[in-house]
Amino acid sequence: MSDDHETDRAGDQSIARRVTAIESLLVEKGLITSDVVDAVVETYERDVGPLNGAKVVARAWVDPDYRGRLLDDGTQAIGELGFGGAEGEHLVVVENTPAVHNVVVCTLCSCYPWPVLGLPPRWYKSFAYRSRMVREPRAVLAEFGTELADDVEVRVWDSSADVRYLVLPLRPDGTDGLAEDGLVPLVTRDHMIGVVR
Amino acid sequence: MGGMHGFGPVTRDPSDRSLDEPPFHEPWEARTFGLVVATSAKGLRTGSTRPSIERIDPAVYLASSYYARWARGIEAAIVAGGSLTSEEIDLRAATAGGGPTRSNATDPELVAAIRGFLNRPAPTSGEPVAAAFGVGDRVTVRRMASTGHHRCPRYVRGVTGTVERINGGWPHPDADTSEAVYRVRFDMRDLWGDDAEPGFLYIDLWERYLS
Repeated sequence: MSDDHETDRAGDQSIARRVTAIESLLVEKGLITSDVVDAVVETYERDVGPLNGAKVVARAWVDPDYRGRLLDDGTQAIGELGFGGAEGEHLVVVENTPAVHNVVVCTLCSCYPWPVLGLPPRWYKSFAYRSRMVREPRAVLAEFGTELADDVEVRVWDSSADVRYLVLPLRPDGTDGLAEDGLVPLVTRDHMIGVVR
Repeated sequence: MGGMHGFGPVTRDPSDRSLDEPPFHEPWEARTFGLVVATSAKGLRTGSTRPSIERIDPAVYLASSYYARWARGIEAAIVAGGSLTSEEIDLRAATAGGGPTRSNATDPELVAAIRGFLNRPAPTSGEPVAAAFGVGDRVTVRRMASTGHHRCPRYVRGVTGTVERINGGWPHPDADTSEAVYRVRFDMRDLWGDDAEPGFLYIDLWERYLS
């Protein structure tokens, strides 16, 4: 039971049949239409994912005024780029510095800033990540290959209410020559959750 | 889950290459997620998603994958909403094969509304509300033996921290009116003892949880 995708596969097959039964019955009774379910799925398979967050980060790296607005009111500044919506109604951006490293978790379930990162990866929802990140963050970060110097302050953010958190990572060294578009591909989902630095 | 031990290392899915892990790994996971939003928009279930997930038998919860927990949660909420019965779901699940029935009808207005709800900027949420504590105040999380849905993890109860920000007000899951929610900063040593890793834990807590 080290991770949620290793749990009961046979149970999942039974659940899959129940989900299919529920959708079929609701459609046949005229209570829902298939296109509505499709639209929800397509939003996260096609339109909304960590590329949105990467664009926010890259803008903050090249535009100090934008960075200031982003740290002051994340929802508003992210909205300037056209991103926002469900699970992003109150976004707070926390900034890594040479002296501070931030990392985000949801111990209760899976709170996550959907408009900028899409839906969370499996490990974020795993019992191991949820239970351990608040107690031994350096040990968990090391499992992601992230070793922090002893003098770096670790700040763990447990999303438990309505605020959703996004980490603004450090701009990598040697990228002074890159424009905003060139910086976007350097920003990964893992940087913006904070499991890599 | 916070602070529980014994779950081993955090392992990555083989398909996880940082940006390109798909949001859904199986078609039924995607349909489950879509049904959560669609049935809510159509008023077909009672209550919100998380309380229905937290009512799952604890042993079943721990043995179920993430979207299986969602599926169990919404099934219970749809049945409670009265549009389907457990018996008809049992019967169909035992006999049906393949994918779900496709409707000929469409609902473009609802599709547009849902796309907007999921993916359209809006002003920062949180109501201006009266707050009993101020930034810099030392606060202690109440000890509570809560039943049902709550948003106060066990591992912070009884521990003292410092208010760092007043986020605004939201209705607590038990209430209709907004209540102040505070960002509280805890020293890891106060949470986990003197041999804790150095560092700080930040968590947002409703006023009712604090003293």
